[in-house]
Amino acid sequence: MPLWRRKSFWLALSVSWLLLILLGVFPLRLAVPPGPLPGCSQGWPRWLDAAFLQSFSQSETLPKDAPQLSQAPRGSSCTWGACFDTSKCKGNALKIFAHSPAGTTTEAHRRILDSLEGSRYYALSPTEACLHLFLPSQDHTCGPLPPYWNGGRNHLVLSLYPAPCTRLGQAMVAEASPSLDIFRPGFDVALPYLPEAHPLQGGAPGQLQQHSPQPGATLLAVAEEKGRWRIIDTHASTCPWGKHCEQDPGLHQTHPGETLPNATFCLIPGHRSAASSLLQALQAGCIPVLLSPRWELPFSEVIDWTKAAIIADERLPLQVLTALRDMLPSKILSLRQQTQFLWTAYFSSVEKVIHTTLEIIQDRIWGTSAHPSLMWNSPPGALLALPTFSTSLKDFPFYHLQQGSSPESSFSALIWVGVSSEPLLKLIQVVAGSRYCAQILILWSSEKPPPDRWPETTVPLTVIEGRRKASDRFFPYGDISTNVILSLDAHSTLSTSEVDFAFVVWQSFPERMVGFLTQNHFWDEARGAWGYSTEMANEFSMVLTTAVFYHRYYHTLFTHSLPKALRTMADDTPTCVDILMNFLVATVTKLPPIKVPYGRQHQEAVPLAAEGPGPVPEPQPLAQDCFSRVAAGFGHMPLVSSRVRLEPVLFKDPVSVQRKKYRSLEKP
Amino acid sequence: MCASVKYNIRGPALIPRMKTKHRFYYVTLFSIVLLGLIATGVFQFWPHSIESSGDGGVEKRSIKEVPVVRLPAASPIPERGDLSCRMHTCFDVYRCGFNPKNKIKVYIYPLKKYVDDAGVPVSSTISREYNELLAAISDSDYYTDDISRACLFVPSIDVLNQSPLRIKETAQALAQLSRWDRGTNHLLFNMLPGGPPDYNTALDVPRDRALLAGGGFSTWTYRQGYDVSIPVFSPLSTEVALPEKAPGPRRYFLLSSQMAIHPEYREDLEALQAKHRESVLVLDKCTNLSEGVLSVRKRCHQHQVFDYPQVLQEATFCVVLRGARLGQAVLSDVLQAGCVPVVIADSYILPFSEVLDWKRASVVVPEEKMSDMYSILQNIPQRQIEEMQRQLSLSETLLFPQICFSSNLQEKRTFDVATGIIFGIARWFWEAYFQSIKAIALATLQIINDRIYPYAAISYEEWNDPPTVKWTSVSNPLFLPLIPPQSQGFTAIVLTYDRVESLFRVITEVSKVPSLSKLLVVWNNQNKNPPEESLWPKIRVPLKVVRTAENKLSNRFFPYDEIETEAVLAIDDDIIMLTSDELQFGYEVWREFPDRLVGYPGRLHLWDHEMNKWKYESEWTNEVSMVLTGAAFYHKYFNYLYTYKMPGDIKNWVDAHMNCEDIAMNFLVANVTGKAVIKVTPRKKFKCPECTAIDGLSLDQTHMVERSECINKFASVFGTMPLKVVEHRADPVLYKDDFPEKLKSFPNIGSL
Repeated sequence: MPLWRRKSFWLALSVSWLLLILLGVFPLRLAVPPGPLPGCSQGWPRWLDAAFLQSFSQSETLPKDAPQLSQAPRGSSCTWGACFDTSKCKGNALKIFAHSPAGTTTEAHRRILDSLEGSRYYALSPTEACLHLFLPSQDHTCGPLPPYWNGGRNHLVLSLYPAPCTRLGQAMVAEASPSLDIFRPGFDVALPYLPEAHPLQGGAPGQLQQHSPQPGATLLAVAEEKGRWRIIDTHASTCPWGKHCEQDPGLHQTHPGETLPNATFCLIPGHRSAASSLLQALQAGCIPVLLSPRWELPFSEVIDWTKAAIIADERLPLQVLTALRDMLPSKILSLRQQTQFLWTAYFSSVEKVIHTTLEIIQDRIWGTSAHPSLMWNSPPGALLALPTFSTSLKDFPFYHLQQGSSPESSFSALIWVGVSSEPLLKLIQVVAGSRYCAQILILWSSEKPPPDRWPETTVPLTVIEGRRKASDRFFPYGDISTNVILSLDAHSTLSTSEVDFAFVVWQSFPERMVGFLTQNHFWDEARGAWGYSTEMANEFSMVLTTAVFYHRYYHTLFTHSLPKALRTMADDTPTCVDILMNFLVATVTKLPPIKVPYGRQHQEAVPLAAEGPGPVPEPQPLAQDCFSRVAAGFGHMPLVSSRVRLEPVLFKDPVSVQRKKYRSLEKP
Repeated sequence: MCASVKYNIRGPALIPRMKTKHRFYYVTLFSIVLLGLIATGVFQFWPHSIESSGDGGVEKRSIKEVPVVRLPAASPIPERGDLSCRMHTCFDVYRCGFNPKNKIKVYIYPLKKYVDDAGVPVSSTISREYNELLAAISDSDYYTDDISRACLFVPSIDVLNQSPLRIKETAQALAQLSRWDRGTNHLLFNMLPGGPPDYNTALDVPRDRALLAGGGFSTWTYRQGYDVSIPVFSPLSTEVALPEKAPGPRRYFLLSSQMAIHPEYREDLEALQAKHRESVLVLDKCTNLSEGVLSVRKRCHQHQVFDYPQVLQEATFCVVLRGARLGQAVLSDVLQAGCVPVVIADSYILPFSEVLDWKRASVVVPEEKMSDMYSILQNIPQRQIEEMQRQLSLSETLLFPQICFSSNLQEKRTFDVATGIIFGIARWFWEAYFQSIKAIALATLQIINDRIYPYAAISYEEWNDPPTVKWTSVSNPLFLPLIPPQSQGFTAIVLTYDRVESLFRVITEVSKVPSLSKLLVVWNNQNKNPPEESLWPKIRVPLKVVRTAENKLSNRFFPYDEIETEAVLAIDDDIIMLTSDELQFGYEVWREFPDRLVGYPGRLHLWDHEMNKWKYESEWTNEVSMVLTGAAFYHKYFNYLYTYKMPGDIKNWVDAHMNCEDIAMNFLVANVTGKAVIKVTPRKKFKCPECTAIDGLSLDQTHMVERSECINKFASVFGTMPLKVVEHRADPVLYKDDFPEKLKSFPNIGSL
């Protein structure tokens, strides 16, 4: 038995050693499952020796020699940095001089020049200009080159139609829907293709009257020759355009333009001649679907077209149709609204198109201080939001929501004094009594010198010497330290409660004017002109700026963006500044001002605007005249009427006065 | 030891008949064998088990083993790059086809080693970065291993750096790829283009129609909308971790850290330093470094030695000057340090410029203006600089710890980005698009993907806004300032269960409102049929009855096809106390504020400091933050949002509790628009549960507790308190004014 035991012992031992050896020799065969066959790998392999790989730039020795210094720019390949001399623009301000057009002055030229003259960039002499405008004649010769041509440096060749002549030296070209092959991004400017009868000023509003994603049926319109549109139904399984379509296009009707506002999408073919359809679609609130456009979209340097249009590949008709059909209502809703915003902000008139072009060039000169993209692409648009006011979006009244910020919680009272009188002291006390008041500014516009002593107030009081012009009150004084202004007249009679409540309301509507006394505008059939009335009415469209809260930005806008002619006119007629300011704010907001209750309404039904004593039943003819002239100057009627007054929540409610926060508002 | 003990215990059972002594031998023997086996196993598989963890199923091979391909000297060479290429001319979209996910499919050719006729390799097989790049694509959603389904092809031929390449042979290698087809739909990645002496700004390898993701494009070589401009990857991104630094003034105003600078430019920079002394720092490579110190990581100014890239954090502006090539890796280092890059490279196409808004994060100075650089930069206001730094850098840790805000939920919206700085800063632009090869690869594919599926493209804000801005900003879906025409009218929706008599009274009352254009009754009772058609009141507008499948409160907010107007009046079947003037005026108010809820009874939410939670308030307060939808006008789009876009489980919660659908609607609208409600007309007695109080105080209190719970629940689901508190309500202009009543538009307002 011991032998058997020993035998078995050795047997077991040798078997185990054998096993060990076997395992040692063929380890992988046993342990690793057979790897995937080469050729059908799943993903990029993880190399065993990946750690030993060299970096792509390791072998790189630093190039010793030098980069060549700036190449001499060639005309065809100009860039902004190379072909435009910004040092000619003093203080980085764009000034443009228009040379009288070559050859005969066409209607198009005249319209360009007219819009230019109203612009703040207009220069009276070529010496102060840093940009020279050259309007080529519409034949192939382009006409003779202007003096100061200098190889086209600092010149802008501008044509509202596709430019007749190709690139001219180092000049920038702004033409309608330029072909992609010759367009120099960041240097040339792409203009929209305007119809012949495009209005010079103002322009028609967008045709979209509601926010709804789909008005009625989902319709698709396809742009055809000569501004005509063909309406088709996306539910039909046909391919609506191009030769890729083998099926019969099915039933379709041909309609002229008026059915367009009903369509949700407007298909625009890619060839350059279809570019004119883009504006039609924009105005109609029909979402442009651009099928592989071979032309540069208008103002593409600054406008984010993906927010208003769909750029699709014309080679995939069915895929595009499916995508359009499946598009979420939220996306359609935002695209449609954006078409309307873009139309009104940049395209509805020749003047806007020209001003936008200049604004783009000014932005290039400003460089980092240019309009941020958000200003270009959200209401009210870059023409009405001046970056000279501030580089921070939070300082503007328009972007609080997008920026996640809220309006300021204190205001500056700006009191305009024409003739010194007793109520002034009382007014200062009332205003200083508001817990939101940060400072009081007295704008002294009287012939008499201001008094040496002012009442003691809890807030700082500053006296500014005015220039005795009516527009003084809207000048952006550096002394104004808050973003909110309560503009007052020495004659205004308010209570602290009223001031407090109006300010709290303003915080909910920082882009609007919040006022106490209102006026209304109407179309006067008899005179065939706009008129306005100061009578108590069920509606209002203007607030008197003698007692009103608004954002400080409107001072900058009033002083720097209004045409000089309008401002001078306002200086002649003091009540006119009031009208002008209301027009300006309405142009920006497209909304009516806000009215809050005013306790003394029934006593002084007619306001404090006029300096003269006693109520005036009808606005003076002078003011009436001013109103018509301002309306004419704007080219359209921006004022919007409201039938709402905002009041404290418990205003005149049958509940104990003790519970009410603004109880003095209800005192007779 | 452990094992032997174990066997000792189990021994008797296994070999019961053996004697203890023999058993000892066997046990020892088996233990040795077992230990040996374990040891062998461990020795053999140890290294692999670590490597294979995490990537199951992926091939493991050595790079040395890749198949070799011999390129005959006469094999075809592609055409040079076609400068006129655009997506619609050179790109074959048919390969991409319809795709429900709107994602392109990317195929990667397997790795090969190319040798010429003489057997000399064409280039080194693959660089570390290109290997990483391909691995990143392979791990992404874009990847497909099916060549026939692919829309975009990425060759595994590494052309990241042109210098070591044999141009002609590399081109030949490209041309023999199985789906090359003139380079259609092929994507090449190149970061260092050109070579001496000209340093072309795009890859010199003939590549026909292939798309190029290039790291140094100039305006003359970049095919806009076709090529993609990418950054030059900086290896320091992964090697060095720079701590976040708050925006604000830094020690140096301007800093230049590059080593290879053209002598003329260096002169310009040194002149700036001489003029502005302390505020400008111009660094160069160190000449006197001791052995063993990495020269890449040091910079010197005279005899002062600085650590690179750490020194970049000391400066507000950092110069990124072109060298022989336009694209410089230093741009990435500068961004990482939160320094604002001053790019001096005429005609350079900045990385990802198709989607990134570099105006917000950099200053571009023309080369000829270099000497004026200082004054140009000084003209930029400090606030704007801080915003730029912020663009480069924003904190990940700012993932809004909602818990820490819970006591102060109301504040979230007003959270100023500036305060975000206090929390510490990470690098946003850099983090999102520069920091790794993977980030660069994915951003490139996303850009191409957006071109092919434009209707699913990522927006400007998504590309450019740092996370804190994305969290705090509100984009109102009804952002266009617009007053809808009065002629459109409104649709009244009455939710009813079985109170037919009261319902008929409501219908009769509402039908007197001039602007009513349609009346929709939502019949929520499945057990009972609505009354015969003949029994319904005869009114002047169409009346429709919709029967629902289930008695749910959310049926009130369903976007029924029958609603043809923008404005909707939601009204309960017991609201009979509103006058026609009041309803008509409510509609007028809605027209002026179409993006808000415009309602009659107003309510307020309050923070209960004792209980540390929100409380519902229906008393006579001076403030409102909600309106009851028992009588409210709103835009019909909010019906769509309520039904399809309500966050979390709120909708089900409301249906389960049969309560608070109105509070949910108030939350939804306030959250999406960032605006307050508008309460119209003075308070009056409503037949709503909390103001009747007929059933005694206890019911009233239960109701208030339930409503408070709703507010707390919704605030936690929304992660914020979106409701806005206001102190105003809307009334007609001449309300209670001393004016003849008959001349007022809405005389009958507020009568009880």
